[in-house]
Amino acid sequence: MNLRYQFVSLAFFLLLSTAAAWGRPANKKALAEYFGPRLADNLNDCRTCHLPDETAREGKKPHNPFGARLSALRRELEEAGKPSGIPARLDAIADEDSDGDGATNLLEILAGFPPGDTTANPSDAELESARGKVAEFRQSRTAYAWQPFDKVERPGIPAIKSTDWARNPIDPFIAAEQESRGLAPRPEAPRSLLIRRLYLDLVGLLPTRGELQAAAADTAPDWEEKLVDKLLASPRYGERWGRHWMDVWRYSDWYGYAGVVRHSQPHMWRYRDWIVESLNQDKGYDQMIVEMLAGDELAADDPQVVRATGFLARNFHALPNTRDKWLQETVDHTSQAFLGLTMGCARCHDHMYDPLTHQDYYQFRAFFEPYRVRIDTMPGSYPRIDLSNGYFASGNGIARAFDEDVTKPTYLFLRGDENTPDKSASLPPGVPAALGGKLPEIVPVKLSPAVYDPEKRPIAVEEVVATSALRVTQTAERLAKATGEPSRRLAEADLAIAEARHAALLAALEAERLEDAGQIDSDPGRQSIANAARAQRRQSMAEAGKNLVVAKLELASPITAPAAAKKIETIEQAIAKLAAEDDGPPSTTYVKRPIKSYPRESTGRRLALARWIANVENPLTARVAVNHLWLRHLGQGFVSRSFDFGRAGSPPTHPALLDWLASELMKGDAAAGQPAWSMKRMHRLMVTSATYRLASTSDPSSMSRDPDNRYYWRTPARRMEAEVVRDSLFHLSGTLDFRMGGPELPHAQGLTLPRRSIYFRHAQEHQMEFLKTFDTASVIECYERVTSVAPHQALALSHSDLAISHGRLAARALHQEIGPAAEDFVVAAFELTLARQPSDTELAACRGFLEEQAKLYRANSSATADATGRQPAPDSQLRARENLLGVLINHNDFVTIR
Amino acid sequence: MTPSNQPRTRRSFLADTGMGFTGLALGAMLFQDGTAQAEEGAIPTGQPHHEPQAKSVIWIFSSGGVSHIESFDPKPELNRFTGKRVSETPHAGAVAEKYHAKSVGNMQIGSKKYGQSGIEVADWWPHIGSCADDLAVVRSLWVDDNCHGAQLTWHNGRHSREGGIHPTIGAWSSYGLGTLNRKLPQFVVLGGGVSECCGGEWAHGGGYLGPTYAGVRLNGRTGLPYLSPSAPRGQQERELEVNLLGRLNRLASVEYPDDADLQARIRAYELAFALQSSVPEAMGIERETAATRQMYGLDNPKTSNIGGLCLAARRLVERGVRFVQVYLPLGWDAHNDVVGNHGGNAAQCDQPIGALVKDLKQRGLLDETLVVWGTEFGRAPYNTRGRDHWADGFSCWLAGGGIKGGVVHGETDPFGFAPVTPPHYITDIHATVLHQMGLDSRRLTIPGRQRFDRDFGTPIREIIA
Repeated sequence: MNLRYQFVSLAFFLLLSTAAAWGRPANKKALAEYFGPRLADNLNDCRTCHLPDETAREGKKPHNPFGARLSALRRELEEAGKPSGIPARLDAIADEDSDGDGATNLLEILAGFPPGDTTANPSDAELESARGKVAEFRQSRTAYAWQPFDKVERPGIPAIKSTDWARNPIDPFIAAEQESRGLAPRPEAPRSLLIRRLYLDLVGLLPTRGELQAAAADTAPDWEEKLVDKLLASPRYGERWGRHWMDVWRYSDWYGYAGVVRHSQPHMWRYRDWIVESLNQDKGYDQMIVEMLAGDELAADDPQVVRATGFLARNFHALPNTRDKWLQETVDHTSQAFLGLTMGCARCHDHMYDPLTHQDYYQFRAFFEPYRVRIDTMPGSYPRIDLSNGYFASGNGIARAFDEDVTKPTYLFLRGDENTPDKSASLPPGVPAALGGKLPEIVPVKLSPAVYDPEKRPIAVEEVVATSALRVTQTAERLAKATGEPSRRLAEADLAIAEARHAALLAALEAERLEDAGQIDSDPGRQSIANAARAQRRQSMAEAGKNLVVAKLELASPITAPAAAKKIETIEQAIAKLAAEDDGPPSTTYVKRPIKSYPRESTGRRLALARWIANVENPLTARVAVNHLWLRHLGQGFVSRSFDFGRAGSPPTHPALLDWLASELMKGDAAAGQPAWSMKRMHRLMVTSATYRLASTSDPSSMSRDPDNRYYWRTPARRMEAEVVRDSLFHLSGTLDFRMGGPELPHAQGLTLPRRSIYFRHAQEHQMEFLKTFDTASVIECYERVTSVAPHQALALSHSDLAISHGRLAARALHQEIGPAAEDFVVAAFELTLARQPSDTELAACRGFLEEQAKLYRANSSATADATGRQPAPDSQLRARENLLGVLINHNDFVTIR
Repeated sequence: MTPSNQPRTRRSFLADTGMGFTGLALGAMLFQDGTAQAEEGAIPTGQPHHEPQAKSVIWIFSSGGVSHIESFDPKPELNRFTGKRVSETPHAGAVAEKYHAKSVGNMQIGSKKYGQSGIEVADWWPHIGSCADDLAVVRSLWVDDNCHGAQLTWHNGRHSREGGIHPTIGAWSSYGLGTLNRKLPQFVVLGGGVSECCGGEWAHGGGYLGPTYAGVRLNGRTGLPYLSPSAPRGQQERELEVNLLGRLNRLASVEYPDDADLQARIRAYELAFALQSSVPEAMGIERETAATRQMYGLDNPKTSNIGGLCLAARRLVERGVRFVQVYLPLGWDAHNDVVGNHGGNAAQCDQPIGALVKDLKQRGLLDETLVVWGTEFGRAPYNTRGRDHWADGFSCWLAGGGIKGGVVHGETDPFGFAPVTPPHYITDIHATVLHQMGLDSRRLTIPGRQRFDRDFGTPIREIIA
């Protein structure tokens, strides 16, 4: 139960809703914002700082003493290199008495009197009442003002009392909140549990005993940093975090029936591999966003980049009249995933909470209006599509986005209904003004022939030719195997067709080549057309030839014979006619290949949008990203609904830390050679904080103050995600197959194929049951996993073949290594599964179990156990040990990240 | 994570006795015999607060918003003004001005009176209609979410923005009462569930009570995946394993006394092994007589799916399951075509639900079983073929478990826009259900967790027998 929601505080609303009503000029507005609702109406006025001078122009009125002091202070502060904005200056002179009437500026203002006017003085009672408001006001001043729609300002690191606790800049932010709430952080987690936590968090696999012991034995003070660097450098990191980002980016393999695609696209695995590879390379998050939204415009000729647009290709819907839904999903999930903005709410009306208008929504949609999805051929595309199990076992291609509807207008739909477009204006692409930043100029992108004519790329032509040649070979093989006269004659006719088709294809390709080279009007060009036409006639003749063979075979039956005779006559005439054309003048036309060409230009809209999102000026991008990272390391985000940073969501628990981390992500550390937007850098920062290293144990006092651990007084225990449970079972027995990438594997084989879970099909209605049992991501939307505890999971871990067999195999390997001593075996089994030593009580219980169990099986046997683990070991001692391991797999702390 | 606010002494006591876990699950279990008496705000004892009328609840939910007008609050008055703007009718006063320009939409199906009570029900619901004298129809409901997030609101009373933190009605009832059959979950979920957008698993979640109190999903036909081991195991071998596992987990819970997940997992394991035999038996609707199966529509492909769910629900409450939440696998979001959508859906669920009420009655179970049918909101009285969401006034019904039969409670204006009698927020239904189970919703509190007045609701006395 990781999701925590809070009411949006009423005060938060009031502040925001009234702010807009306050007037200009800027200084007056700053004053009003500084005091908020505490500023009396009469003071929300020029005369608070200026003398009433009717002759002076607006903004040029002379200052009263308060205004003069405020104004003079600016230069003073600037010279001292301190912040000199109105708030800083108001802070500085709060306890001064500018008009010398005996009451401080702050008290006068809180009492509703002008601080620069000696003639207006509060009474003693009014002053006393104002004093009562000071504490509340001071508190509001020190509270961090979080402005999610304003550019991230890097906050200072707070001073804390318990300085010895902090390990890096994250900790003071956490400690400050704890100190103010009377929460005490738990002690650091035991080293071995911390090692286990790091392995599971960063690479999604349990440490082996060797890894655990090595890290535990490292006496260096920076042992953790070293381990973290090692884990982040492991290719397993990209797989682990790839799955997290696949949740957020809504990864889905294709969905449909009998090989017919309804949703998403085949070959999405290339996008999945791009995610894993990009993470492993530590590609900048900004670059990743640009590639996902506009890889086809950024590097149109580079398939390695274009595959990233699987992010968009995934939104494909095949059913008629679903284009609007398709674009809705694109707008909703682009804004939620990268901006934490529920843009979808503005589809029917202005957003109820956030400064997003109905029109903003459609201008955002306009970036995507032209995009469509296609599959570009890759080697191996055609011949090997195997639909026998309703599954694209090995076809090949890239599912990608491209701009097709380049002139399609975007209309605002009244009430969000596509049947009621407002055709009075076609809306240009645009970003919500409330988010600031500058949309880069939209520059159309010229595409190369390889992009607008993908079927003519050498790679695609080779593929077509190879497929056609393969068909000739296969048909010849069938002929060689044919027995009996009718079969042989039919096979001969098939071979003739395959050969004629192949020849016609080659001839058509030659004519196409000359035409594209501008040489079609030459002699060789005209000759190539004639050749192609001739080869195509030959193909028709071969096809007719097969009909002739069939008809002749029909002559053998008295029932079909009369009709067959007539057919033979017709066919022979047709063949003769085609043959006669060979003797006529050379043909000037031929049938061109039915291939599709695409627009020669992309609009550049998505590229501009992507660069606006992936930008330090964007207030939300980095905040949302670090919130996702934090959520997955510490169990809950600062903003509890990671997809809604707007006012309908909950404000963050640690706004300053969130902003600091966001700024850190965007800044990098050039001096240390650490690039901006590096995710690995943020992981390192988070997991090496003292906060992350806290134990997951409880404390009644903190528990009563903060039962949901919103202030991180401990690192909460979390359940392994479904994929980690499954992968860990294979890994325990040492059988996990570490090969990476490639087409999605059939989910039905998930419990037997030992590849990592990320490589199996993940689509609506095509998901592994085992993973669903452990709450795997919903394909529709999953910004955060929901964790259940259900008897189903107990059954899966105690009854599935996967758990039973791999428990046995792991026990056998351990047995081999440890030898006969029971105590040593129990200790090793605890290390392997729980990464800790058993207590004396646990040890005794387990030893008792081993003895009792061994008694159940009669004789010790020397027979060898089957290699798969499907059967228990014949040896009674070993069988007992297998079962002990089975029990430990079912231990609560096996599936728990402590 | 856990509402554990137990005094330190009790925790130590339990650790010393080797029991380990000190959370609420134990609270309910330990004192099931009623040796401890509940105090306000105290950990429930498993004993009811007052004499219960219902032992079990079957809570049937229709996702997407069933039109109250075309179900249990027919409005023939609409037919008189079809096509007219709302402002041109005498009933415009019932609704905010922004709706005045809308055209009145006539009822998309007829209606008639049923039973001695003469409750008016739309013609798509003849089987439920024929139970009219056992129903209490509440026609004055409202919720404040006019979008599908109300699917979650219906179950926990809160806005979907707050996510899954608040316990659902099924969770509260399991929390408040001890189990009647330790071999089955107290709170079972049948059918599809609500959409991911609108609550998903949260709609039967335990919220801050912890996953121990969340509903357990059983599939209509197969029960549970991995119910039996892939290869048979020896009985003694299994027992030793189960004992060791229980002991190790309890030892862990001494170290992590308020880990709600750990406590829930201990319970899940206890339950899992019991389920191996209890679930196939309980879910074995094929064991029912041909007459019963026919009654629920199992012989008809249209009704067999939901018939199976309703029949399984009856079998589960017969075996002591406290709360069965049935998600009808139908979507009622009829923006464009009420006739096609509601007509088609009702044809699939009316007979099975009607059969459930009648079957419970003929077996004498209706006295102790409360059946509740509800939906997230109603549908708007304007427009014709399709109707938009309408959360200001809609209906649900209750039957059995000490609820009066043949009564209509509350009334909406002649078009069905809004209640003209005091309106009931959804939590009043929750409070009524809990009351019938012997629980006072106001005494179901957890220290440190604020519940607002509206969260508790108030039982609707007028429909309680």
